[in-house]
Amino acid sequence: MTALPLVGFLALSTALFAVGLFGILTRRNFILILIAIEIAMNAAILNFVYFGAFSNGTGGLTGQTVAVVLIGFAATEVAVGLAILLALNRLKGTINVAQATELKL
Amino acid sequence: MPVLGDPKVSLEEVAFLVLAVVALLTAVAALLVRELVHTILWIAVFFVDISAIYFLLEAPFLGVLQLGVYAGAVTVLLLFGVMLTRKRIFSREAATGLDAVPLALALVTFIFVVTSVGQLPQSNQTVTSYDPSLLSENLFGPFGPWLLLLGLLMMGAVAGSIYLVREGRE
Repeated sequence: MTALPLVGFLALSTALFAVGLFGILTRRNFILILIAIEIAMNAAILNFVYFGAFSNGTGGLTGQTVAVVLIGFAATEVAVGLAILLALNRLKGTINVAQATELKL
Repeated sequence: MPVLGDPKVSLEEVAFLVLAVVALLTAVAALLVRELVHTILWIAVFFVDISAIYFLLEAPFLGVLQLGVYAGAVTVLLLFGVMLTRKRIFSREAATGLDAVPLALALVTFIFVVTSVGQLPQSNQTVTSYDPSLLSENLFGPFGPWLLLLGLLMMGAVAGSIYLVREGRE
């Protein structure tokens, strides 16, 4: 039987989400923004696993199941992000998002 | 299991503390180093660390999935992104400093959520372990529509990605 502090885990994923949020807001490189999104997404998936692991009964299994589906979603998102990255690089010759102004009026 | 003769500290708690510190440090390092390839190295360590947390929480299937999908596939995809968009792989980024407003926003978010977390019970909770076969039954039983949706989404994403990067568009 393993006993662990749930509050510590929640604090960890909150801190990771804050790091990801900071990265999304400050970085100018498209790849770094993708990585920051991944950090924030991992923090969110971790939360599902915690509440699944720390609850008893079959309802706790739902957390792990949702986490499996979410890992698939996150991988899909990286693939689309990479396609946008390549299209942006071909169009502008750079991956600096400050120069991606195609949709500006 | 007691550690260092102190019955109040268990091996699992020490493991969690180490993993948490490593996760935070690697996440911050990945966003702050100037060399993009080093960023991807740090993020690979971060993904392996998260996988270890899954093993600690007695979710071995998720741990293996994290290793395969994130530490394997996503890291290689990001490396391909660097490789395809640069003439020289090892070239430094222009420095992007620590802007005050986003840093403050991240800190406020952290404090806001952590204070609400403080209302939960502080004591240690027991971790329930589940058989991976139960997980599979759940995934293909009640969560079947989700899985189909995930498959459709991935198919759409593949089609969209190919459309975005195809040759000879205007």
